[in-house]
Amino acid sequence: MATIAQSAGSPLLEGYAAGVTGRDEMLLPDGSVAPAWRSFIAHLSRLTPEQTATRISRGDQYLKDAGVYFRKYDDSQADLRDWPLSHIPVIMAEGEWRQITAGLTQRADLLEQVVADIYGDNSLVAAGHLPACLIADNPAWLRALVGVRPASGHHLNMLSFEIGRGPQGHWWVLSDLVDASNGAGFALENRVATSRVFPDHFAEAPIHRLAGFFQTFQTQLFGLKGANAGEIAVLTPGLLNDAYYEHAYIARYLGLLLVEGEDLVVRDNKVMVRTVEGLRPVAVLWRRLIGNLCDPLELDGTSLLGTPGLVDAIRQGGVTVLNALGSGILETRAFMAFLPRLSEVLTGKPLLLPNIATWWCGQPSEQSYVLDNRAKLKIGSAFATQPLEGDASETLMSASAPDAAPRPANSRPIDVLLHRNGRDLVAQEAVTLSTTPVREGGQLVPRPMSLRMFLVRTPQGWQAMPGGYARVSGGSDTTAVAMQRGGKVADVWIVSDQPVARPSLLTPSGSGSGAGSGSGAATDTATHPRSLPSRAADNLFWLGRYVERSEMNMRLFRAYFARYNDGLGHDAPLLTLLRKELMNDEGPVAGRLAGQFEQPLMSALRAAGRISDRVSTDGMMALRDLAQSTRKYAKATIDPAELPRITSILLRKITGFSGLVHENMYRSVGWRFLSLGISAERATNMATILAVLADDASSERAADGLVDGLLDGALDLVLELGDSTLTYRSQHAVRSTRQTVYDLLALDDANPRAILYHLSHIRQHIAALPVRDNRAGHAAQGRQSEISRLALKLQSGLAVETPLTLNSARLMNVRSDIRDLTDVVSRTWLQ
Amino acid sequence: MIYAINLTISHEYEVPSGVGRHLVRMLPRAIAGRQRILAASLTVEPCPAERADRTDFFGNHVTSIHHDTPHGFSSLSLNARIECLMPVPVQDGSPDLKALHGLLDGMRQMTGDAPLHCLGPSPRIAENPAIAAYAQQVTAGTDTVLGKVTALGAALYRDIAFDPVATTVDSSAAEAFHARRGVCQDLSHIMITGLRALGIPAGYVSGFIRTVPPEGMPRLEGADASHAWVRAWCGPGNGWVEYDPTNDTFVGADHIVIGFGRDYADVSPVKGVHLSAGGQTSKQQVTVVPLEGETAF
Repeated sequence: MATIAQSAGSPLLEGYAAGVTGRDEMLLPDGSVAPAWRSFIAHLSRLTPEQTATRISRGDQYLKDAGVYFRKYDDSQADLRDWPLSHIPVIMAEGEWRQITAGLTQRADLLEQVVADIYGDNSLVAAGHLPACLIADNPAWLRALVGVRPASGHHLNMLSFEIGRGPQGHWWVLSDLVDASNGAGFALENRVATSRVFPDHFAEAPIHRLAGFFQTFQTQLFGLKGANAGEIAVLTPGLLNDAYYEHAYIARYLGLLLVEGEDLVVRDNKVMVRTVEGLRPVAVLWRRLIGNLCDPLELDGTSLLGTPGLVDAIRQGGVTVLNALGSGILETRAFMAFLPRLSEVLTGKPLLLPNIATWWCGQPSEQSYVLDNRAKLKIGSAFATQPLEGDASETLMSASAPDAAPRPANSRPIDVLLHRNGRDLVAQEAVTLSTTPVREGGQLVPRPMSLRMFLVRTPQGWQAMPGGYARVSGGSDTTAVAMQRGGKVADVWIVSDQPVARPSLLTPSGSGSGAGSGSGAATDTATHPRSLPSRAADNLFWLGRYVERSEMNMRLFRAYFARYNDGLGHDAPLLTLLRKELMNDEGPVAGRLAGQFEQPLMSALRAAGRISDRVSTDGMMALRDLAQSTRKYAKATIDPAELPRITSILLRKITGFSGLVHENMYRSVGWRFLSLGISAERATNMATILAVLADDASSERAADGLVDGLLDGALDLVLELGDSTLTYRSQHAVRSTRQTVYDLLALDDANPRAILYHLSHIRQHIAALPVRDNRAGHAAQGRQSEISRLALKLQSGLAVETPLTLNSARLMNVRSDIRDLTDVVSRTWLQ
Repeated sequence: MIYAINLTISHEYEVPSGVGRHLVRMLPRAIAGRQRILAASLTVEPCPAERADRTDFFGNHVTSIHHDTPHGFSSLSLNARIECLMPVPVQDGSPDLKALHGLLDGMRQMTGDAPLHCLGPSPRIAENPAIAAYAQQVTAGTDTVLGKVTALGAALYRDIAFDPVATTVDSSAAEAFHARRGVCQDLSHIMITGLRALGIPAGYVSGFIRTVPPEGMPRLEGADASHAWVRAWCGPGNGWVEYDPTNDTFVGADHIVIGFGRDYADVSPVKGVHLSAGGQTSKQQVTVVPLEGETAF
């Protein structure tokens, strides 16, 4: 097979060995390519640089299409960035993976025992195996949960571990990820993208598939319901969390409900989700919100992300939470110093997989060891949860360089610090990580990496994901692995020497399913539709409104500059009227006027982002693309002559989004709210336009140049805004009059631009909304028929009007009636 | 001494609201050898949709209530008869700081009453160099732990002006110390911060003091509302010693305990999240009346 001598001929590996300073994943210490890597490297070597580049862009396109992003935090604002996939997977032989799995399984069982004791009778502290202050002073020890037995019988059901390989080739646990951080969805995203980069190799090579693991996990989640009936929900901190896209992705993939703390309420010790149908029980909560933030009543009172009463519900066994609230204490860095001993004490066996060497500085003997060995140690907070190596938030204070800008509060010599604050400090060995190939400039170069591995509890014991999530450093510095600092991520392939089973990945929804509610999720959502949380419905409603508002304002903008280009000055009466009454009284500056459609578009994007588990990736892409296109109006100075043309392109794009809604979206309750938003907005806007531009009151003004009291060209402008010029010409051969325009754009039940058309739709949508059932069930039903009556009254009230009876005052009434109706809809279903 | 106690906390809402959950810590706890609860009831108006009573980590009574319909007025009302036994005068049997730290290092007790909970930071108590330096300075003249507790308490009584308007319920110890003014909550938080900086376990006590002073005695500050003071663990001989920095005194039969915690956040009488559309006004009324001629036995 390929040895280094052979591969030296391949431009791919040229110079690679020279860059390897320690242990490498691909190259063995003797310089040969590791057996698990050989067939992949051979495959890669056969591809021309052009072929490789094409394949890589295919993988990147998938990630873009699937809406996989991560959020990067700069000084103040969060920014969406492309997913930093390193297209070269990390490859591991199955045998080695099995050894790691055995070590992690042992560790998972140990962690369960430790956390059960910490929230039980604290016998480990009583026996002196854990220092009392590491519990008592630990902000992650949630006293409200002491003595509370988890409903599932276990504190831990899903774990991940960050591991790294040291210079001698042994694997080390760098951190235990217990509380909310996970990344299983990241692993899945990387797998799908990487398998698209190397489809033929992936199809043939004996690479273990991930689908089985996720099926197991899904089954376990259902099993965890126990005696409680209800939904399985993923609790996310929300859109601003850096992993929100993963939360939305994994929820959609596994067919789970994505909720935020404010979606949940606790009633009679049960967790309920507010849905458009009323309160629905939640049996299992897979939380991605750190424990302390989950209940402002009993935990961190400043949290705005939690659910008051959640701890009460847990206490009464009304809900199973993954992992149990409070289990995050296991992530405490100082625990690493005690787990090796605890393993001996609790199981009689040493840890199969050691963790990063750690000294808690609360005892004199450890303090002096740390002082004596300061050159090779790093010192940091005992209670932090990140390993010192990868902690971007902490100014690393190397013991060997006490003057290297430590945190101000600790600006004391290291020995004084250790003596005074020893209990709050740990020292960790500086770990040198192994390297793995990354493609840079057409060549492979070695970069330091760590792996995240995943375990899920089953009745038969822990099951490991045959794969993982690799984080690869952006530079050659073996300590900088945090993705926030410019690193990359990679898929992890576990290769067998036998043929492997190939369950196909569950099909994540996305391409082509429209802004659908729950379509394409792993479970059969047609027969078991997920509940629609009220917040999601509210966002769908506003998504519809904002998109429609943006579209109408684009039409106004285009019409404005078409007339300007025809020679009408900014101070012409018609353009002045447009700006004053319909364009928010903005000044005659293209950039400012463009803000009228740009801002609602941004709001639409925000609303869609908050429900990205329900909006199709096509829909999201269309919106992002639109938002991107509108930016040029604000920045560059565009020739006004060009404005109508480029705005027409925008209009085609936004119509494309509406097309997705109408053509591709399953007629779910979610679609009803989205459509309600669109109809309410369109009817409102048309009523305003008619009232302003075809104002009957102005006919009494008998000024020069006015026809029927209207500004010249006003009615043609209305027809243009109503996208009905052609329709009009085909129906009315004569010059437009106020009455004929009313007829077409207010009273025509067949014109999708007319007010009446949308009032009819609003009526139908409201009639089809789910019946609320809650404690005041009867009252709610009475209220619903009341709302239906309101909608009927609104629609029939306009239907009996004629072009001769309609006037501006009446149109303004329609406008306020729509607002009243949507207010009451909002109060009934959306709050 | 037996007291009849009433504490009423009421809220008035401009727009009917108040839907939501609250945790109420108003029912006093029994303390062996110190206070007996002869009768106690907590009345909630309007009647909540859900109510549950339990004991929290620290052994305090806690009532969780949930209202599901908006209301314009709500009240929480405690009525209790409590017998307070005359405490034995405190005599200093406490070790010096070094010995105390040695004792604490060997401690492995994690139950709610353990001193270890009250050594590190807690929700409302953060390390503060200014308070730490002050505590160091004003306690330098005495060696015993109990001596340091009283020295710090007396110094705060002298240096911090009692001022009901200078701070709010959300003010930090640092703010109050900087202003050198505050109420019982601030004085207690400052004292706790100082004691913990010295390595002395210190916690927060919420409770009452008698409203009507005995004849010829001055009326104690804080009597018009619920009160708060400090307890410090002074070694196995003295155990937890309660000290009231607002009145510069060890607690006596005039002090009635509701609950013990690390700081105010653990024992706040009403903690809650509710939806409120308009403004609200809150009122607190307290009466603590000694019952003459009645005995419990």
